[in-house]
Order: sequence, then structure tokens, then C-alpha cells
Amino acid sequence: MKNKTNPKCLVFAQHEGFLHPERSRRVSRRDFIRTSAAAGAAVLASSTSNIFAAGSDTIRIGIIGCGGQGTRDLVSCVKSSPGVEITAMGDLFEDRMKESLDKLKKDVPAALKVPPDKRFVGFDAYRKVLQCDVHMVVLTTPPHWRAQHLKAAVEAGKHVFMEKPAGVDPKAIRSMIETAELAGQKRLSVVAGTQRRHSKKYQEIIRRIHDGAIGEIVAGQGYWNGGDMLGYWKWYDKQGLSDMEWQCRSWPWFTWTSGDHIVEQHVHNLDVLNWALQAHPVQCVGMGGRAVRDLGNIYDHFTVEYEYPNGVRVSSMSRQINGCTDRIAERVVGTKGVADVDRGVITGEKSFRYEGPDPDHYVQEMADLIKSIRDGDPINEGKNVAESTMNAIMGRMSAYTGRALKWDWAMNASKLDLTPAKYEWGDLPVRPVAIPGKTPLV
Amino acid sequence: MKNKAMKATPDLSRRDFIKTSAALGAATLASGTGRMFAAGSDKIRIGLIGCGGRGTHDATKCLNSSENVELVAMGDLFKDRLDRCRRTLKSNLPDSVQVTEEMCFVGWDAYKKVLACEDVDMVILTQPPHFRPQHLKAAIEAGKHVFMEKPVAVDPVGVRSVIESSELADKKGLTIVAGTQMRRISHLVEGIKSIHDGAIGELVGGQCVRLGDGMLTWGQKERQPGWSDMEWHLRRWLFLTWLSGDFIVEMHVHNLDVMNWALDAHPVQCVAMGGRQVRTGPEYGNCYDHFAIEYEYPNGVRIEYMGSQIDGCTNRNDQRIVGTKGRAYTDFGRVVIEGPGKVEYAWDNIDPCIKQHADQIAAIREGKRLNEGKRIAESSLTSIMGRMSAYTGRALKWDWAMNASKLDLSPAKYEFGDLPMRPVAIPGKTQLI
Repeated sequence: MKNKTNPKCLVFAQHEGFLHPERSRRVSRRDFIRTSAAAGAAVLASSTSNIFAAGSDTIRIGIIGCGGQGTRDLVSCVKSSPGVEITAMGDLFEDRMKESLDKLKKDVPAALKVPPDKRFVGFDAYRKVLQCDVHMVVLTTPPHWRAQHLKAAVEAGKHVFMEKPAGVDPKAIRSMIETAELAGQKRLSVVAGTQRRHSKKYQEIIRRIHDGAIGEIVAGQGYWNGGDMLGYWKWYDKQGLSDMEWQCRSWPWFTWTSGDHIVEQHVHNLDVLNWALQAHPVQCVGMGGRAVRDLGNIYDHFTVEYEYPNGVRVSSMSRQINGCTDRIAERVVGTKGVADVDRGVITGEKSFRYEGPDPDHYVQEMADLIKSIRDGDPINEGKNVAESTMNAIMGRMSAYTGRALKWDWAMNASKLDLTPAKYEWGDLPVRPVAIPGKTPLV
Repeated sequence: MKNKAMKATPDLSRRDFIKTSAALGAATLASGTGRMFAAGSDKIRIGLIGCGGRGTHDATKCLNSSENVELVAMGDLFKDRLDRCRRTLKSNLPDSVQVTEEMCFVGWDAYKKVLACEDVDMVILTQPPHFRPQHLKAAIEAGKHVFMEKPVAVDPVGVRSVIESSELADKKGLTIVAGTQMRRISHLVEGIKSIHDGAIGELVGGQCVRLGDGMLTWGQKERQPGWSDMEWHLRRWLFLTWLSGDFIVEMHVHNLDVMNWALDAHPVQCVAMGGRQVRTGPEYGNCYDHFAIEYEYPNGVRIEYMGSQIDGCTNRNDQRIVGTKGRAYTDFGRVVIEGPGKVEYAWDNIDPCIKQHADQIAAIREGKRLNEGKRIAESSLTSIMGRMSAYTGRALKWDWAMNASKLDLSPAKYEFGDLPMRPVAIPGKTQLI
């Protein structure tokens, strides 16, 4: 095989391979190295940034945050593409890292190459991981830390996979948007764990919406009405733990660590609505409370009315209470039809049902990311997920305070910053549960 | 053209009126239906059942709405409330309030005694909503015309009873008007008519938002020594679900009634959430302070309702209907239609609370059918099913609520004794009945 052809052709061939995991097995090692080298050269030639893996066929990954979702994300990443190795790990807690290592040993033993001196524990573990020779990091600590970890990772020149949400307060969102811009300048990929964006079914329905299949969008709904998450989200009894350790370990249940469930979980559906509407809300009014829940200080239900440009109102419902009617869905209403996005169905003048393949979204998002790195064609979802997270945060702020609020105010003027005074294993009184009409809008 | 309704009645001469009445009496008799109204008399005599704040208000509006209307009988559960109401009415309207001591009735059977007064042509039913179905039934059976405040029930059993009584009222030629005065605000009438005429195309969505204050200063908060549980409940009825239906039923039925009106339908199903985040003290009984409901109407049209009663929050009271060709908006001061063209309907300044009585008195005198019973029963069920869904966390269907739900919040007996308060509903735990 002569190797002097247009690198773009090679890149395209590689694209074919890496998009389809089954087919990719047929790519021989020699072919792969050749392609990578060409891609590396192309990137170099085309511009600025970090030269990925030139001359090497391996992408080395570090993980920051070795909990359940982080570990699952690593497994998905390894399964998504050949030539991925896990080489550094960081977490706040040694026991959580060990659990993660045990699971990775079982699920992806060949890819697990983390020597003891590349396992870091504590509040500065993320810095140590970023100092390692990794191409990409997986950011999966609790949402509170996402923005600062992303900033450090991008400054360190790493590609990033980060779980949603992007942060828990407007300050974090502003930071993330800045960092996303920096990542763009440095030609780094930033993929967020809003995996619906990588679903073939969602992509097709949203494409049709954008092409006018339901006419002009006039309304929409997003739902995450599900169970209480006990047994899935870890809860630790306080017992002998310091406040900080207790809250970090039980992070989903505290607003400063998780953002509350509207931010932590429902951001998925809000992200789809922003995607479909190609905008973020202008203002919102929300309500919510704790009808059942008594752990931590988060709510167990929210409803928010979001107003998008042109007065289009979209409603959001999110609930985490057992024994209720569940519904997780996104729906967009237009002047010529309705899209049940999650079901892949459009009803109206241009009815359509998606019946094509829809590979595992968690694997697909990783495949797309790894491919973008290898192609030197970065994907940058930082701003998208920052904005979707802002939807959720402003909805929560409105529900907590009982006050309607505007996007521009939240984005530019809100001083809400849930960061504790210091990161150390000591006292940290739990903020009281928010009371609408009393909790101030900050 | 202010006060069209007010002018109509004085223009009617006494002679004309008697003639009309007599003709009407004959017509009614001929059709074999009901009671002969006021034949040979020009007076319409009113009985008031429920002498609280709203009863006082409604009686005042009714007496002011038309000529020759007199209040002649009053009933309430409590003597102090009746006396206060009687004093207020007498001092404001000395001529048309002609209630003798013998025509004042207190206690559980006060309503029966008012209905037993042969002189009474029409009753105003303004006890707490829980009592409405039984009072309506008794009133229609007694052959009285009825003005009743919204809501008209607190549970599906009550709703079904109201629908039956309304059917009976039609058979007997009796009028029923419900205190949903939004239906008589001129700009809503015109605006909704234009929606029905297609001004915004086919309807595809909408929002109904009413965020208001916490009602914390309502009524007497402290329980008096010597009050039984029952008396405490009745004096705090607004905050007890079995009496008021909760605020979504008690107050926001107005807004949901407008949605049903605009969509010309009732919902097919709903899913709701809610809770009490602020009004948590025992003085606020067992009602919630916020509800959010998605109602699905025919053809998959989803309407979002948000309602709260919490102090210190953003206040809103507005509704919007979205169509394929535009949208209609009202904040109750006006209706704005943004369709292919923009039209704004303003209020004609006629007090809808007067107009609803004037319409009814006129209908009685003219022998016209005027029966809002079924419509308000459906709007009440719209609210009730939303509350049931929020309380239980379960989605539910209209047909099930209307036909199969066995929910009946009545106490075992009506007497001033023990009555433990039902616990505050817990979604996922409170049973859907």
C-alpha cells in the first residue's frame, strides 16, 4: 500500500473503522499505525494543538473520580474503540478507587495499566493525574468539581470526557464556558456525558425537527419522573465521618455537591430540549419541594416553566419518589406536528418512526470522542452542556427561592457559589433545605 | 355602554314583568316540569345557606344585581357567623334584606330549614365546598333555583352527585349558576369566542399559572378552648382537604375552568406533583402549598398548570393557549390574541360577580334554561383529579376518576365531636382511591 495519498482519504478510512466497533476489529495493527501517523501529520500540518499519539497506536486515559459512573464510563470507553488504555487514576477515597480497580480488572483487564504509583488519592489527586502522560481524562467526580477539573485538564492539554452536569452554580457555568473556548483554541476534544447527543435515533429526530418536519416549534415538555435513587446513589450514615467526608461520599444528596436531582439527572432531558430548540431559555419560573425525602438537603420534585426566545414555553417535570408514575421523555410540539423524541416518533404532516440501529449511547459517545481525537477533528460539547446545566440550575434556583428569573441575570449577575470555604476533612454544616419565599435569590 | 346588565332590569316595567312571569308560570306548568316561579308576584326571594365572607359577598352582589330581589332566610353552622353576616347585609342593604329572627337557622340542619321556607325561590349555596353536593341535591329536590359558589365538590363522589342534581334541575325547569365569574368577564367571552372561531388555528398547547400569596392571615389561627375537632376543622375549612378540596380545587378551579372553556373540553388524563414546603404548621391543616400538573386534553394537547400559595414568591396569574397559527394570552385584565393579526380585548367594566346574578334572575323571570351544573362539576373534577394525582404521585385518567374512583372525603358523621385530621398526603404512599 502506497502511503503518499491524500491524508484525508486515510482519515476517512479510519473513520469508517472506528465508528463501527465490529468492523474496527478488521483494521490491522499496521494499518492503524499508518493511519494514526498520517492523522498526526495532518493535525500538525493543519495547526496548533497537542499532537495526538503521533507514532503510537494507543490512547492513554486517566480518570478523575472513580465512582460508579466513572468506572462505567471507562468500561464504555475501552469497549468503544481499540487501543485505549487506562493508565492513571485519582479519587478522593482509596476504598472507592479499589472498588473501581476491582471492577475494571474484571471487565476490561487488558486495558487496565495503572501501576500503584499512578493511583492518587485526595483533594489534589486530579492534579497528579493531569501530570501523568495521558492523552485524555475522564472527569467523573461529583458535579461540584467539574468546572475546576475541566479547567485544569484543558490547561494541561488533555482531551476530556466529562460527565454531566457541568456544575452546580452559575459561577461554575461561567468557568466552563471559558474553558470550553480555551479547549477550542487548543483543538482539544471535550465530550460531555449527555449521551443522547450521540444516539442515532435522537440525532435523526432532531435533524428532522431542524429541517422543519414539525413546522415551527411552539411548545415542549421534558420529564424525569422516577424513583428515589436509594440503592443507586450511595448514602453513608454520618457516624464517625467528618462533615466533609460524609457529604463527599453521599454527594448526590447535597446541593453543593450534586446540584440537586434537577441538575444532576434531569439535565439530560433539558439538554435535548435545548438541542431541539437550538437555543437556551430566556427566563423561567419553578416550584418544588421535598414531599417524601429526608436525606441530605435536596428536593424530591421540581416543575419548571422555561420560556425560550419568541415566547415558546417548555415545561419540565422531575421527580424522585418511589411508588409514583414514572416518565422519562422529551417531546417537542410544532405547528405541523409533534416529536416524541425519546421514542423516535414524529406525528403530523411528516410522520416518521425511527427504526434504524441505535447503538449503546454510552459506548457511542466514547467512540465518537476517541475518533475525534484520532482524526484530529475535535468535538467540543463544553458550551452545550454548560448551557443545559444552566437551564437546570436556574430552574432549581427559581424553585428554591420561589422567584422567577432571567437567563441573562443568572448567567452574568448571579453570585451564587456553593463552594465550601475550604476543601479539607473537617466541619461543614449542612445548608438548610431551601424554602421558597425565604431562601434568597443570590 | 357601562353596566348593561344593571340597566336591563329597571327598564322592565312592573306590569310587563308580572305579565312575563305569569306567562312563564303557564309555560312551565304546560311543559309539566317544575315549580311555578313567582306567578303573580314581582319579587324573587333568596335564602342564603353559608354566611361566611363569600356568602356575604354573593348575597350583596345578588341583591344589587336586579330589582325586586329580597333576602328572606339565612342558615349557617355557626350563630356568630350568621349574626355577623346578617348585620353587615342589613346595614348595607336595609331595604332588600328582610330576614326575620324566625328565618335565621343555625346548625347541621339549617340548610334544610332554609329550603323548607316556601317563600324562598332561590338559594345561594356558600358553605364550604364539601357540603355543596348535598345542599344542591336538597335544594333542587325542594324546587329552588340555585346559585352556588365554586368549587362544587371535593371528591368524585360529590362531582357525580352534582351532575345528577343538575340533570334533575333541567327536568324541573330550575336554573343553576355557579360562581365562576370568569365566564362573564367580557374580554374572556370575546377572546375565547375568537379562539373557538379559529383565530389561533388548531390548539396544541397551553399554560395556566397562578402563583399567589400564602393566605396566612386567613381566618382565625388559634384554636379556642372548647372547640371540638369538628368545629376547628370547620373554622379552618380552607386548609382541610375534606372541606375545601385544597386550594387547587377551592381557588384555582377558576383558572382550570377557563382552560376547559378555551379548549372546549375536559382533560383526558393528568400527571401531577406537589407538596407543602412552607405552610407546614398544624394551623394549615393538611393542604398543600404548591401543585404542578400536566393535563392532557383530547388530541394529545398538553396543558401545564402551576399553582402555589406561598408568600414572598413571584406572583403570577395568567393563562395562555397556543395554536398552530398563534396564541392567546390573558392576565385577566385583558385578552391578547396573537394570530395572523394582533387583537386585544379589554374589559367592559361590568362586574362579572353582579352579571352572573343578573343573568340568573333574568333567566328565572324569563323562564329560560340556565344550568351551569355539569360544566362546573367537570371543572371541579379537573381540579380534583390534579390534586389526586399530586397526592398519590400517580397519573390518572378522567374516565376512571369520573366513573370508578370511590374517593369520598365525608366524615363518618356530622356532629361537633372528635375528628382526627387525615395526614398530609405523601406521594407514592397515599393511596389512589
